[in-house]
Amino acid sequence: MTEFNRLVSHYPEGKQKSALLPVLHLAQNSFGGWLSSDTMDYVASLLQIKPIEVYEVATFYSMYNLKPVGKYMFEVCQTGPCMISGCDDIIDYIGKTLGIKPGETTADGLFTLKTVECLGACGYAPMMQMGKTYREHLTKEKVDSIIAECRNNAAANN
Amino acid sequence: MFQSRTGKLKVMGVKILLDKAHVEGIRYFDVYRREGGYQAAEKALKEMSTDAIVEEVKKSGLRGRGGAGFPAGMKWSFIAKPEGVPRHLVCNADESEPGTFKDRYLMEFLPHLLIEGLLISSYALGSHDTYIYIRGEYAWIVDILEQAIEEAKANGFLGKNILGTGFDCNIYVHRGAGAYICGEETALIESLEGKRGNPRIKPPFPAIQGVWQRPTVVNNVETLAAVVPIIRMGGDEYAKIGVGRSTGTKLISACGNINKPGVYEIDMTISVEEFIYSDEYCGGIANGKRLKACIPGGSSVPILPANLLLRTAKGEPRLMNYEGLSDGGFATGSMLGSGGFIVLDEDQCIVKNTYTLARFYRHESCGQCSPCREGTGWMEKILKNIDTGNGKMSDIDLLWDIQRKIEGNTICPLGDAAAWPVAAAIRHFRDEFEWHVLNPEESQKRNYGLAHYADPIYVATP
Repeated sequence: MTEFNRLVSHYPEGKQKSALLPVLHLAQNSFGGWLSSDTMDYVASLLQIKPIEVYEVATFYSMYNLKPVGKYMFEVCQTGPCMISGCDDIIDYIGKTLGIKPGETTADGLFTLKTVECLGACGYAPMMQMGKTYREHLTKEKVDSIIAECRNNAAANN
Repeated sequence: MFQSRTGKLKVMGVKILLDKAHVEGIRYFDVYRREGGYQAAEKALKEMSTDAIVEEVKKSGLRGRGGAGFPAGMKWSFIAKPEGVPRHLVCNADESEPGTFKDRYLMEFLPHLLIEGLLISSYALGSHDTYIYIRGEYAWIVDILEQAIEEAKANGFLGKNILGTGFDCNIYVHRGAGAYICGEETALIESLEGKRGNPRIKPPFPAIQGVWQRPTVVNNVETLAAVVPIIRMGGDEYAKIGVGRSTGTKLISACGNINKPGVYEIDMTISVEEFIYSDEYCGGIANGKRLKACIPGGSSVPILPANLLLRTAKGEPRLMNYEGLSDGGFATGSMLGSGGFIVLDEDQCIVKNTYTLARFYRHESCGQCSPCREGTGWMEKILKNIDTGNGKMSDIDLLWDIQRKIEGNTICPLGDAAAWPVAAAIRHFRDEFEWHVLNPEESQKRNYGLAHYADPIYVATP
């Protein structure tokens, strides 16, 4: 709640709805990486706005997940500059390695593969977002080591 | 110093934004300050009136660096000042135009340059609560900026009674959540108010009714950072850099099939050819390939074949600035735009590239205006068909027709941004599209290649 209050304090009194986007990020991080309707209703009550005001925002922005996702989400950019730098091969390779298609999650719930549009890393292509950071200059070897790193982290935290 | 072809004196490769980018620890206040940081803010707040600052920015000729190129000082002078109503400066850090990653570089490596620019600009505009609207994906940069803000506050450059001048200013970082459209200033304002990013109808302009119905100025990251050297050196000196109405320096983010992708600061006096082939910048085309085409100012500006990119239709070398890149209009030119410089080599397929851009704009259309909502999806489907060998000859004219009906018929410029790449691809690469349609099987095995796109263009002399 400290972080919630900090976010709301950025906006004028009575304009607490302005904190909706940052608060939804906070909620998504705090409640398993996605926004259930219960979570969205809770956010609405905290900000004293109608639930529909939260739903219409959550469905508009691509970073809010409205379904459960894997512990590690590989969001691979597929727009022009990444395409000319070979992102299609990287997307295929991740899919084959993990046995999933874009939009799917592995059966163990560890990985989700998602294709996304330009993330502003065109000079460091091919690239993907994983959590809070970018993984850039991707190669098949680099993908292998990222997957291994995720598996090790997951095992260490269990 | 030497005489450039425009007759102005220029210093080679003048840098005023990124000159300190490689100083160890410049991300932190102490080092930034030691290197002369915040001196411009001291000068502005202690020695200058708010009108004098606006006047310097006007004199500098600084044009909006987000893509539109609108004179920044003029935009500032439009802000309404009704009695008792707070005003706000909002920094547009929603950088989302494919090919563009310069603001990210500035914020990651020189956060205090932006904070200093924001402080001076907030003072000039009378904004006591200033916001940085940053795209949601740049999540780690939020931490960098918030740390810089805390440092500035701890050192008396933000907060209450800054430098004893009585001016109060706070800066807040507002994180978006994945929507290209929020780079459009009225959509950004809607998003800052916690709503969907649907652009507003103008007028009223943000300068009259912006965020929370208050007068608001929205400026790009690079524009606001450029205010620091403008105040430091004076508007007149700043205007001496560059050519004509392209004053100052511009950050170019270069990507695609080049040897040295990255962010470069140029003084807008160099040619496109020099930018691509010189070792100071892109270092030439990667893997010894030949240049086929380039989108010089972010994905929405017209793509040009190599021959028209390097030389104008008149046969003169094309310069890397606002006027140079737009020379010839859309018939034979393009735009400087946001400075997202995307280079395609001879192995790249123009149809596939256009298809991915059409998919991008379909994905990012907010859906408010029918021509954009329906047109972007329609263009994407047709382009996918042509790309996968399922196109018809009539599809090419249909694409042309659809983009013409989107352009100019929407509330915000996303419609134009979606139409232009398709229009330019057909205008300059029509035979490549036709080859795809006529050779559906072969087009799945190989690309059209360089063809005639780098051939010298015959210039008729009167």
